[in-house]
Amino acid sequence: MDGISDLIKKSPFGPIQSHMEKSKASANELLIFLKAAVDEDWDKAIQSRKIIVDLEHEADRLKAEVRSLVPKSIFLSVPREDVLELVKRADEIPNTAKDISGLMIGRRMEIPPQISSTFIQFSEEATEICNVAADAIDHIDELFQFAFSGNATKEMQKLIRRLDALEDQSDESEITLRAELFSIEKNLPSVDVIFLYDVINKIGALADRAEQVGHRISLIASR
Amino acid sequence: MDIIIQYGPYLLFSGCLFGFFMAWGIGANDVANAMGTSVGARALTLSQAILVACIFEFAGAYLAGGEVTATIRKGIIDPSLLSQTPELLVFGMLASLLAAGTWLLIASVNGWPVSTTHSIVGAIVGFAAVGISVDAVSWTQVTSIISSWVVSPFIAGTISFFIFKSVQHLILNKKNPFESAKKFVPGYMFLVGFVIAMVTLSKGLKHIGLNLNFEQSLMYSIGAGIAVALLGTLLLRKVKNTEQQRGDVVFDGIERVFAVLMVFTACAMAFAHGSNDVANAVGPLAAIANVVQSGGEIAVKSTMPWWILLLGGAGIVIGLATLGYRVIETVGRNITELTPSRGFAAELAAATTVVLASGTGLPISTTHTLVGAVLGVGLARGISAIDLRVVGRIIMSWVVTLPVGAGLSILFFFTIKGFFS
Repeated sequence: MDGISDLIKKSPFGPIQSHMEKSKASANELLIFLKAAVDEDWDKAIQSRKIIVDLEHEADRLKAEVRSLVPKSIFLSVPREDVLELVKRADEIPNTAKDISGLMIGRRMEIPPQISSTFIQFSEEATEICNVAADAIDHIDELFQFAFSGNATKEMQKLIRRLDALEDQSDESEITLRAELFSIEKNLPSVDVIFLYDVINKIGALADRAEQVGHRISLIASR
Repeated sequence: MDIIIQYGPYLLFSGCLFGFFMAWGIGANDVANAMGTSVGARALTLSQAILVACIFEFAGAYLAGGEVTATIRKGIIDPSLLSQTPELLVFGMLASLLAAGTWLLIASVNGWPVSTTHSIVGAIVGFAAVGISVDAVSWTQVTSIISSWVVSPFIAGTISFFIFKSVQHLILNKKNPFESAKKFVPGYMFLVGFVIAMVTLSKGLKHIGLNLNFEQSLMYSIGAGIAVALLGTLLLRKVKNTEQQRGDVVFDGIERVFAVLMVFTACAMAFAHGSNDVANAVGPLAAIANVVQSGGEIAVKSTMPWWILLLGGAGIVIGLATLGYRVIETVGRNITELTPSRGFAAELAAATTVVLASGTGLPISTTHTLVGAVLGVGLARGISAIDLRVVGRIIMSWVVTLPVGAGLSILFFFTIKGFFS
């Protein structure tokens, strides 16, 4: 009929939230995977890897859905570029999780016992950043319900500060982890060492991307 | 003259038939937009919406529909030019009703968003300019009508923008939005009652024997506003701050406060729609009735027979009851994004604009006004996504409707004229 019902489109933030749910799930599954890898329980790791790959596919599908909901002809009450950028950043989380698990499975990488506890701690912190970023995205609903007014944005800023603190902490852990690896690297096969650094880099990137997701949301909320 | 005296009753009967058909069409289709938002926001159930629409559409048509009817009846065409050939006016109005009704039917079948107002205005201008003479059309009036079509969505959009912004500041932004909502929502209810009463009363209700001056109207309107606010406060008492499931949508306490408010804005919307759109069907009929009953005299000052508004109101109600409920259901199901806090702002703005237009006798499109209001809420960041293509389609449809309505009515006019000569 005459427009009104066609006029109001489905909000893209529902699918963005589902997408972030998948990203968060993939980060948590990666943690399970990394713990299994440290324990050299490859059966469990392969199982985990399968779940991560499935989650990544799901996330891709949801990313496409978000994009289909925001063509140029749709007037959004937030900048369109921010929405697209947000989902693009968020989509890098499952991709990175998939990369890391693929790399480690392929090489049956062993984590040297001297660094394993810091390695686990670092991974846990990176995962926690993803969890907080997902929390922030969950708050978008509230932002819209209250049309971006004071209370909801304050709540959001609190989450972002938490995110920054976590990121600092995980940076610290990364530095410690690198130092620990450096002190034992001469006793390890060089190729393994190169890939260990690579995995550490990638886990760091995971944390970075999750943090950027949080910043995108705060940008959307503050405009 | 002879034709009028000879065939008068038949012409009047055809007029009633066509007018009723068109009112029925308006009820079946157009009302859905006025009520669909409330159903979509789960502020009213379907059956409640139909009941509200019936009562308030009828009231709006009967109490506040006179001015717009007068415009359609004698504002667009200069009747004095037709005093020698009153039958042409009758034929033309019959042709206009038929043309607008036919176009609406075609458009409804194809699902095109067309406006009843635009159809009938296009049709009347068409037959008058081509069938009679270009001078027969009161172009200044037509210009002001067309500019009102452009202006009304903007006004509604601006009002809804500020209403929603005020909601944000007074309620949503507060530490305890639920308590603030309970405090301020009666204020909006007052506004609903006041605006509707003020416009209706200040225009005068002479035809039901009520004659008030401005101060009296103001007093009564404030009274009406307070009455509405009190009733609303009473209803709000029952609302508790808990989540509640309705259908597949979960509303927390604050939205349910606005849902109560939206019941009132829905009434206002139905009233506004009745006051403006019924005229599209009954205006031409009133013109026909005037000529026929006076035996061929075109009296410029003639009063409007009020049974005609009753007929129009009844047509809308029957249209609503026979087919309209289905359209409301469809529209309502699709717009769950329009929660009560957003929907009320759109409805209040649209209703205010439409009722104001009715007061000044300008026939505007309720749908377009509501579209403008929804955009206003969107700009205030109330709604996250609005399809601009739909806005474009709606603008296109009114550009197309004018020539089509005009063309059809010219065709019917010469057909009817040929039939009687």
